[in-house]
Parts: sequence; C-alpha cells; structure tokens
Amino acid sequence: MIWTYSLILICLIGAFAYYRQLSKGLAVTNMGDYVSWGIYISNFVFFVAISLVGSLITAIFRLSNMKWATPLTRIAEIIAVSAIVFASLIIIIDMGRPDRMLNLFLHGRIQSPIMWDVIVISTYFVISLLLLYLPLLPDLKIMIKFKERSSNILNKLYLFQGSFWRGTAEQFKISERAITILCITIIPVAFSIHTVTSWLFATTYRPGWDSTNFGAYFISGAFLVGAGGVVVAMFVFRKFYKLEKYITEMHFEKMGRIVVMLSLLYLYFNINEYLVPAFKMKSGEEAHLKGLFSGEFALIFWFAILIGMIIPILILVFKKGRKPLPMFIAGIMIVIGAWFKRYLIVTPTLLHPFLPMQDAPAEFHHYFPSWEEWAIAMGTLAGTLLVITFFARIYPIIPIQESITEQDETCMSLPPTKRHE
Amino acid sequence: MKKLKLNKYIFLLLPFLFIALTNRVSAQEKEEAVELVKLNYFTVNNGVQYLILENSLKKGRNTEPLKNKVFQLYLNSNTPENLIGKVSTDKNGRAKSFIPPSLKAAWAESSNPTFIAVAVGKEDEIAAELAISKSKIQLDTLTTDGIRSISVKVMQLTDSVWVPAADVEMKVGIQRLGGILSAGDEETYTTDSSGTTSMEFTKDSLPGDQKGNFVLVAKVQENDLYGNMIVEKIVPWGIAVKTDTNFFDQRTLWTTRFRTPIWLLIMAYSIFIGVWGTIIYLITQIVKIKKLGVAVPKEEG
Repeated sequence: MIWTYSLILICLIGAFAYYRQLSKGLAVTNMGDYVSWGIYISNFVFFVAISLVGSLITAIFRLSNMKWATPLTRIAEIIAVSAIVFASLIIIIDMGRPDRMLNLFLHGRIQSPIMWDVIVISTYFVISLLLLYLPLLPDLKIMIKFKERSSNILNKLYLFQGSFWRGTAEQFKISERAITILCITIIPVAFSIHTVTSWLFATTYRPGWDSTNFGAYFISGAFLVGAGGVVVAMFVFRKFYKLEKYITEMHFEKMGRIVVMLSLLYLYFNINEYLVPAFKMKSGEEAHLKGLFSGEFALIFWFAILIGMIIPILILVFKKGRKPLPMFIAGIMIVIGAWFKRYLIVTPTLLHPFLPMQDAPAEFHHYFPSWEEWAIAMGTLAGTLLVITFFARIYPIIPIQESITEQDETCMSLPPTKRHE
Repeated sequence: MKKLKLNKYIFLLLPFLFIALTNRVSAQEKEEAVELVKLNYFTVNNGVQYLILENSLKKGRNTEPLKNKVFQLYLNSNTPENLIGKVSTDKNGRAKSFIPPSLKAAWAESSNPTFIAVAVGKEDEIAAELAISKSKIQLDTLTTDGIRSISVKVMQLTDSVWVPAADVEMKVGIQRLGGILSAGDEETYTTDSSGTTSMEFTKDSLPGDQKGNFVLVAKVQENDLYGNMIVEKIVPWGIAVKTDTNFFDQRTLWTTRFRTPIWLLIMAYSIFIGVWGTIIYLITQIVKIKKLGVAVPKEEG
C-alpha cells in the first residue's frame, strides 16, 4: 500500500503542476526560444523506447518458439501498454494547448514525421492492447471460476471481458492464429514506432541529430531499456508475489544473456554515433560534442554510458552476475541510464544551434527543468508504474493457461518414467 | 652626488604629481548631458510635406532617444494661429507631423518658411528651428535610339518665381528593397547652374514587377536649404518577372497536405490499410470467439 499511495501522491503532485501549466501556460517551464524540447520530450522518447519490450518478449520470443519466456509475456505487455499510454499523454502535455491535438487530425499533413509518429503510436497501442487481451482470455475464465478469490467489482470486470471464453478447440484455434498474426504484425510496427520517433530528430540538420544512424540507434536502445525494464519487473513480481516457481533463476540467466547482447549492440551504435562525428569534428558539431565529452553535459554523458551500458555489461557477462539480485541492480542501472541518455539526445543539441546564441539572456544558454516540469515528468513515470501495479493486481501476472499447457507439453515430451519428476 | 640623488627622486615623483593633478582637474569636470532637438523637413512628389522631429540626450559619446516628449510645432512664428500640430516622440525619440490644410494660406505666402519646435512646459524657449526654401524636382525620362536617359531638374521658389537650384546633390536611381540602386555609373549626381542633372540609364536587364515596371526615384537628402525631397516615377524599363506559382503546385514533402507526393500517399496508405485492416480482422476474430462462446452452454460449477 505504501508503494501505491506514494505513486498516487506523485501523480497528484504532477497533476497539480499540470494544472498550473494549463492555467499559466508553458511559461511555468524553463523551456524557451532555444530549448523548445525539454524533459517532456526526453520522457516521451524514454516511454516509446521502453514500450518496445512488448514486441521483444511477446512477439519475437513467441515466434521463435522460446517457450521459457512465456511467464514473462504478460509482464512485458503490461509494461508496453502502460508506457505507450503515457508516451501519448506526455506529448499532449508538451504541446501546452491540448485542444490543438485535434489539429493533427483535422489539418494533418501526411508528409510530416510527427503525423507518422501519431499514427504508429496509436497503431502500436491498439496492437499491444490486443496482444495483452487475447492471451488473457483463458486466464479470465480461470479467474471467473475462482470468483471467491476476487472482489465483486473484479468479478464483474472479468465477466465483462471474458465470460464468453469457453476454452473450446475452435476458440483456441482462432485465438492462437490471431495471436500469431498479432506477433507478426507488431514487429514491423514496433520497428516503425522507434524509427519514426528517431526521425523526428534525424530529419533535421541540427548537430547531434543529423545522423543516418538514428533509426537503428533508437531501436537498439529501445530493446535494451525494454529488456532492462522487464528484468526489474521480473525481480519485483517474483519477490512480492512469491513466483519463484514460475520466474526461475533460469529466466534470469537467459534474460541476462539477452541483456548483455543488447547492451553490447547499443554500445556499438553509441560508438558509431559519437566516434564518427568526433573524428571529423565538423565545426557545427564541435561545440555539441565537446559539451558532451568534456563540457556542461560531460557528467550526465559519462554517467549514462557507464551506468547505462558499461557496468551492466560487466555485471552480466559473468554467470554470477546473472542471478536475480545482480540482474535487478543491472536492470535499474540500465533504465536510469536510458532516461539520462534520452535527455542527452534532446537537450544538448538544442543548446548548440547553427547560429551561435547572440544577444540572448544568460538563462537562455542553459536549461534546467522547473519544478513543474520535474513534477509532471515524475508524475508520468509514477503513472506508468501505477498502471503496471494495477494491472498486476487485477490480472494474473503469469499467463496461467499458457504455463499449464506448456508444463503439460513438456511433461508429455519426457519419457514416461520421468514424467512425474 | 647628493644633488643628483635628490633630482632623481624629484624626477621620479613628477609622473605621480602629474597624474594626481590631472585627476583633480578631470574630477572637477563633470560629463554634462545635452538634450538635442532636430527638425527635418520632407517633401514627397512635390505635394505632400511633413516634418520629423528628433529628440535625444547626448551624454559623452552615447546618444539616447527620448520618448514621450511633447512638442508644439509652428510655421514661421510660435503663435497659436501658426500651430502646425502637437506631437509626442515615440520610443525612437521621433515624432511626425504633416502641415495641416488650415495653414494653406500661410504656407503659400512665403517662399522661405521657417519651422519652429517648442517643448511643452518650456514655451518661452525655442527647442529647434528650421528654415527652408521651397523647392520642387522634375523627373523626366527619354529614350533616343534605344538609349535611355534620365533628366532631373531642381527648382527653388524665390520671390514667388521658380528658379533653377544649382549644386543640389541627390541620388537618382531605382527603388529596390534595400535602398536606391543608382541609375547610372555615379553614386550621386549634382545639379549644374541650370538646376539640371542628367545621366544615361545603364542598368539594363533589371527585373521589374509582373509588367516590367519599376519605380524611378530622385532623392535629395538632408539638404541645408531644401530639406529632404523625393520624387518617384513608374517606368516600364524593367524585365517582367512572372511569379512561379508552379513551385507551390508541385507535390513535395514540404508543401500543403493536398500536395503530398504520390509515392508517399501510396506507401503510407498501403501500410496504414494493411496494418489496420489486420487489426480490424483480429477484432472480428474476437467477435467470432465471443459468438462461439455464447453458442456453447456454460459449464456447471
């Protein structure tokens, strides 16, 4: 309850800060002429990145027949749905005038990368919701069957959502086919969402953004932070719901290897992203790169690289590091490092415009978010965790029916003498 | 030896004495701010006349415009019947006033009118005074054997008679966005004893408007006798420039929503229809699952 109430409190503070922003305008933020995108956009990119986990765990693992990942699929989809909801909300918050969101639909231009982003985010949200709902149907039947274990409200919810599921062969056949189609569809959509989000930056000429590397760079980062998020969630749910039988050390071992691979891949893209421009050191890029490596943003930059990539690699590359607790710590580091990395993608470039700042007030040369911005950003993060918490409280966090089915299948595949072990 | 040492000390002390003294001297002098009021007279196309008053504060090397200062402008004498108008300076320290129709008779009387500015609140003091001679510019164009030439004549009104005005420096050229492009090879032209200056128009192939017209201008600036004068004439000596509206009719990534490139439309809508078609199909599958479930009786217990 402390956890839930703390999150609700942070959300309420964020809501109050948003009320102030609505009534006084974006003047309550420290965004200005130069830094027109601040931590709202950093948060947006972060949420979009972490939502990729749904496609990774649920879709890719499922299509690759990696049955060991079945207990993780619901965790992944819940994270994906929560993150994408708040990605949409934070963009509306950043707009200042939320009613102008309608202009996108009334006067939208299909040539605009922002329009593409709106379309893919909406599409990804719907697909993730379906991918959460369809595998949930058999479990809803189980929840309805054991109605004495749930409150009346929850029982009504389960009945409304899944009372029609009888578990017949025909229903299973349609459901399995639909899930497979969803898994196939979600992969290009997930790749699109991250590529298009990266193009919001890469389709400009700004130093730090004008890069052909951005699409793959964003996708690799998204895979990493998504996987890190799942590892954190795995540990927490395993510990608090006593799920050691379902989320075993084997899961941590396998996820650890995947996270190492993703970290190395992301590190590779980071090297491409920074080393190549640093080698050329074009005059337009020089101020930006020096700011990152040794200037105003050096501390955050090296923190993000070390904490977000290097140290997790060093932890997870060893077998002892792929145990639950070290993995949890590495996962936290990856997620925190990823948040700062998104901040570094957005703000430093804006502070190094093409034409050097002249005759601008001193405060325009730096950006530090106001308390309202922090409150709203933390509010959305807390909101995401709150939605995940509520999902986990309402629905079974481990897919029950699928786990039982797989256990049966595993058992049947063993020789008869070993089936009872 | 002793005397030499003493002289040496005195000699070393001298610079310090000098600095101290000059400092005292300069400390006695204070930087005084001086208020400047200047009147400028303008005539446009030999018809419209107006005045611009400039009010500023000069302090050392800095000049600061004075805003919201109120002045009364008079013609010939600072009497109520000769009041041109009451003006207030803007943020740039400038104020503008046209000569009103009520002063038509007074204006017509004199060949050399005087303009007087008096600050409100300091009516006994004349802030600025400007005496000018009435003048006019005649701008003519001529084309002979394909050679275009311009002739400008400046005349001043003396005892109700128009006489040529000699040695009047002016710019003659084409009015462009950033200023006046000289029509000939010189930057400025000066009238001769007959009050005339002429030049060959050397700027061929100059873009004009859609009909090939541009504005020919003769401009006298800050002349001590005549003030500022400008005369304009539209001449068809330019090249007609047709606005390329085709550019805005093209289908590009940076035009309006109704000019999307065809390839993008096909790609975007194909992907959208493909993905959302799949989503709609999946929703129908959920509906199908629901119908199948409703058809099957509920399990007991």
